[in-house]
Amino acid sequence: MKGDQVRILDGNIFVLSDSSGDIEASPSSPAGYFSFDTRFLSLWRLSVNGERLHPLAIDDERFYEVRFFLVPGAPTQYLDAKVSVIRERAIEASFEERLTVLNHDSEPTELTVRVEADSDFAPLHALRQPRQPVGRLYTRVEDGFLRLGYVREKFRRETLISSTEPAQVDQDGLTYHIRVGPHDNWSTTLRVHGLVLRPDRTDVRDHLTRRRTRTKLQLQQDLDRWLAMAPRLTCDWEPLTTTYQRSLGDLAALRHSTLALPDDPLPAAGLPWDATITGRGSIFTSLQALPVAPELAAGTLRTLALSQGTELDDFRDEEPGKILREFRYGEATAFEEKPQSPYYGGADTTPLFVILLDEYERWTGDIARVRELEDEARAALRWIDEYGDIMGDGYVWYRRRNEQTGVENQCWKESWNAISFRDGRLPAPLRATCELQGYAYDAKLRGARLAREFWNDAAYAERLEREATELKTRFNRDFWVEDGEYYALALDGDGNQVDALTSNMGHLLWSGILEPSRAKKVAEHLVGPRLFSGWGVRTLAKGEGRYNPLGHQIGTVWPFDNSFIAWGLRRYGFTDEAAMIAEGILDAAEYFQGRLPEAFAGYDREQTRHPVEYPTASSPQAWSTGAPFLLLRAMLGLEPYGDDLIVVPEVPGRFGRTELLDIPGRWGRVDAVGNVTVDVGNSQ
Amino acid sequence: MSNATNRFFGELSQHGCERLLKKTSGTIRFDLEHENGIEYWLLSISNANVEVSRDKRDADTVIRTDTAFFERMIRGEAKPLTAWLRNDITSDGEFRFVVLLERLFPPPVGARHPRVASEHWRQR
Repeated sequence: MKGDQVRILDGNIFVLSDSSGDIEASPSSPAGYFSFDTRFLSLWRLSVNGERLHPLAIDDERFYEVRFFLVPGAPTQYLDAKVSVIRERAIEASFEERLTVLNHDSEPTELTVRVEADSDFAPLHALRQPRQPVGRLYTRVEDGFLRLGYVREKFRRETLISSTEPAQVDQDGLTYHIRVGPHDNWSTTLRVHGLVLRPDRTDVRDHLTRRRTRTKLQLQQDLDRWLAMAPRLTCDWEPLTTTYQRSLGDLAALRHSTLALPDDPLPAAGLPWDATITGRGSIFTSLQALPVAPELAAGTLRTLALSQGTELDDFRDEEPGKILREFRYGEATAFEEKPQSPYYGGADTTPLFVILLDEYERWTGDIARVRELEDEARAALRWIDEYGDIMGDGYVWYRRRNEQTGVENQCWKESWNAISFRDGRLPAPLRATCELQGYAYDAKLRGARLAREFWNDAAYAERLEREATELKTRFNRDFWVEDGEYYALALDGDGNQVDALTSNMGHLLWSGILEPSRAKKVAEHLVGPRLFSGWGVRTLAKGEGRYNPLGHQIGTVWPFDNSFIAWGLRRYGFTDEAAMIAEGILDAAEYFQGRLPEAFAGYDREQTRHPVEYPTASSPQAWSTGAPFLLLRAMLGLEPYGDDLIVVPEVPGRFGRTELLDIPGRWGRVDAVGNVTVDVGNSQ
Repeated sequence: MSNATNRFFGELSQHGCERLLKKTSGTIRFDLEHENGIEYWLLSISNANVEVSRDKRDADTVIRTDTAFFERMIRGEAKPLTAWLRNDITSDGEFRFVVLLERLFPPPVGARHPRVASEHWRQR
């Protein structure tokens, strides 16, 4: 997080506080203790003898625990503090905080320690606006407990605060009157439970057959095991190994277990705000992470299959066979003020689901999963033709039916202004972006392979292949912009080319829908001065009507986007161009201590000499975390072929010898050693 | 016991449910509260075939609600998953059957095929 915010988390349970450990939420500072898309604490303030505490040091090495070393009073008094406080905080299914007060004096001391607590039970999406709760807030002082609550009809959330040492509890918090001997200390542990209650006042999660809760020790063991199982990277260029290690650790933290399938974690889209089930983010990240953690794809496929759309529902933009965009547990979803229950407004998630299933099998040989998900994969393929093809002309289109709270652009560039003509005009809302056609083409071909090899349905395979060929012919005819020699961003409902020059066409390479004779022109554009900033490919080219280097998806550079573009360039044989993008993005990562932000500004590299981060709420963001893995795959030329992993390394010269050892897959474990290098001429 | 509820389970037992996947197997019990007590309906799903009985047996998932709300789901007026989030229905057991409930109940009334919606916009 930004500034001095400190956080810990486990899945969708997290705590955000200031650097002394206090929580003081306001619309400008979304701090709190969060669980189940709800804020359970909006105030958590510690004082000693009425004085606030200030941090001397913070130890937050692990993502699920933190220690604050504090002293009372203003900074000038630090040097001869007679009292100090250690605040140790962890997420262990609930939020736990151990307070230790140390007396450094040779005399005993009497102190008043107070913790103020309150909660507004705000739903996650509404933290930045002042909000009048629809339901009723309440506070109860019980025998040694403080209970904060919120009720709206049968919907009920409570925060239960308890203490191991006896405390004087009032409506606003807990007070301890303590006496600490000379050079002695006193401590207590506070437990804060966020309860999601049923009308019978029991927690809904206690009624689930398999509920996943983990102790601190289990979290540590799990993290150690995860890191030990992952391939090891060694590289002459030290920053790349730093980025790789950081991304592995972040990917571990991003693993999200759902209520329905607690043993099949999938990558959440981002932390902390997007710790939920998403279609796009989970699929792209699982694809990127196949060389290091193929099991994540299995969790993603299973979870998304379970929630596949089964009916028409305008509010949720749902259709049979569609793969969801996002699911949320909060109050706004429960009362249908927001459609995330789940929301299906994405035209890319469904073909991407089929692509992931096929690619996962190529890496792991997990045929059982492919057979298990046959019905869902067929339903997804059917969605492309029956519901994605709104115009009946063989393309995948989108237009939201939920015009109040639905998403306007149902591709990865969801910003309202991301899809535009060269001159900046916006097309009418019925749109078919180019990369969606690439995904549909790829999904059909991959679906054909699955049908032939595993579903025993050659006729279906032939049909899918025929449709893919027809789509490719049609696409190369209708989307090619003659005067610019590139592919249009989209078609509008009247069949006009939405002709801005964008990064979207970079995805056509990894999909394989591009006519090879035109690929050279596309590659030139991607690494040419209008699209390539020196760090990476911009979302929208310099010179286009809406170009803005700081515009969310109209000029910024997205590492995730670039990783797929580099992979595609490699697929079409553009080794130098792929290496150039890989080097630019991995160079940028060094400026962020190995943690790539979701996006950075589209300024020319020569102009700023430093990648300027585009501020987004979550960090890490899963598909940025995954980008280095896919870039490594592209540079090392990793491609499953039958039961073997083919390795054809083309690594930028500056990286030197690059080795990825023990890559898991159907081949067992394989090493990829890259000492063949290319000179990308990109060292500025 | 209500006619609508009887018809709903009767229909399931006679014609099954085409939106269930072939691989779906498990048991779901509905405990429906009404003025005079609770009525029990047990669905035994085996490879998408549905058997209905009135047994009060253990099930993989038990869904509890009142008959009035259950009838709203039967009419396609309320979705099971949002109902669960609001506590209009509660569950015991495996959560995946709560997610699968959507497949058993009718879709929302008046929902449009994207092509139909698109025609509508063009004429507007």
